[in-house]
Amino acid sequence: MGATFVIVLREGFEAALLLGIVYAYLAQIGHADSRRYVTLGATLAVAASVLMGLAVSLLSGPLADVGPDVIALVVIFAAVALLTWHGWWMGRHARELHGDLQRRVDAAHASHQLWMVGLIAFTGVFREGAETVLFLWGLTTQLQDLTGWAALGGAAAGLVAAAILGWLVFQGGRRLSVQRFFGVTSVLIMFLAAGLFSAGVGRLQGIGLLPGGDPLWDTSWLLDDHGGAGSFLAGLIGYRARPSALEVVAYIVYVAGASLVFFPRLLRRGRRGDGVVERPQTSRV
Amino acid sequence: MRRLAMTSFLFGSCLALLLALVPIAEAQDKPVEVPLTVANQKFDPAEVKVKAGQPFVLVVTNNDPKKAVEVENKDLRIEKVVPAGKTVSIRVRALKPGTYVFVDDFNKSAQVKIVAE
Repeated sequence: MGATFVIVLREGFEAALLLGIVYAYLAQIGHADSRRYVTLGATLAVAASVLMGLAVSLLSGPLADVGPDVIALVVIFAAVALLTWHGWWMGRHARELHGDLQRRVDAAHASHQLWMVGLIAFTGVFREGAETVLFLWGLTTQLQDLTGWAALGGAAAGLVAAAILGWLVFQGGRRLSVQRFFGVTSVLIMFLAAGLFSAGVGRLQGIGLLPGGDPLWDTSWLLDDHGGAGSFLAGLIGYRARPSALEVVAYIVYVAGASLVFFPRLLRRGRRGDGVVERPQTSRV
Repeated sequence: MRRLAMTSFLFGSCLALLLALVPIAEAQDKPVEVPLTVANQKFDPAEVKVKAGQPFVLVVTNNDPKKAVEVENKDLRIEKVVPAGKTVSIRVRALKPGTYVFVDDFNKSAQVKIVAE
């Protein structure tokens, strides 16, 4: 029972944290009513996970061998592309946030952000979703005796515990100072995308489609990426205790390129040489 | 609508790109297959030798009638579920000489050592 509790909690941890942050974010910007988009993204991800779990259980041969890898890679890289495009869109429209235009832009921002929070929710849940489904699936086939039920009970408790952690993050995030929360969201999304990009590169190395893969350094003595704070950072910004050289390069290149896309003002400010303080809205998502 | 079109386009092109990579991977020398079975929460054999510097494929057969296993090595970025009664092939990149421990993430006491030399 204890073992299944830990396994499900671990698989659900990242997703729950991410959902907690996204819900808190919506509450902060006064769009609590649009939570259903996050819920929709998460629900679709659960459905996709169940489908993938079923497919892996039923199919066999090359489709079952390569299929999950291909789908995971597609989801990761498409999410990176969409998040980057979103950052570009926000950066481009940020400066329009003055005068009469403001209301129209606000409305556009609102719809843009709904779509994006849904995407983040989907990716967060789907990443470990299929594995969890397969694990739970295996448990339900052992229900004929008491240990089977105990195992399932442990798994259910694990899901509940993950949900509670997500809820605590939501409560905490809601109470953060609004200004500070706004200030970091664009940056956070950029690092989230960088982490995803780097993880995608790592997966390509794992199956041998990209060369290399040996760890460049090892910081697991300082912060392990398996549990607690390390796992939180892993889910949020792609922290790795033992990253490969190519993963590090991918991360740095992405952040360097994306900061120009996400914050075009950095460039312009440098050129004009003035120190315009960014308005809080500029980093709205 | 435009957004939906763009989203599908992006997902589509990513999928096409990756599917294009598959034949390239297939065209490489057929990697050596390393058979492994799992039953009663144990890998058999518990230790396998592979050639260093050459990619290989772990062919894992899960003989447990009920329990799925998740073959995992975080450093090698490998995480693959083998449902009960199924066989799944797992591509592993070329390894430097050394010992690599794969665990069943659903039951950490089941381990298999891959020795590359």
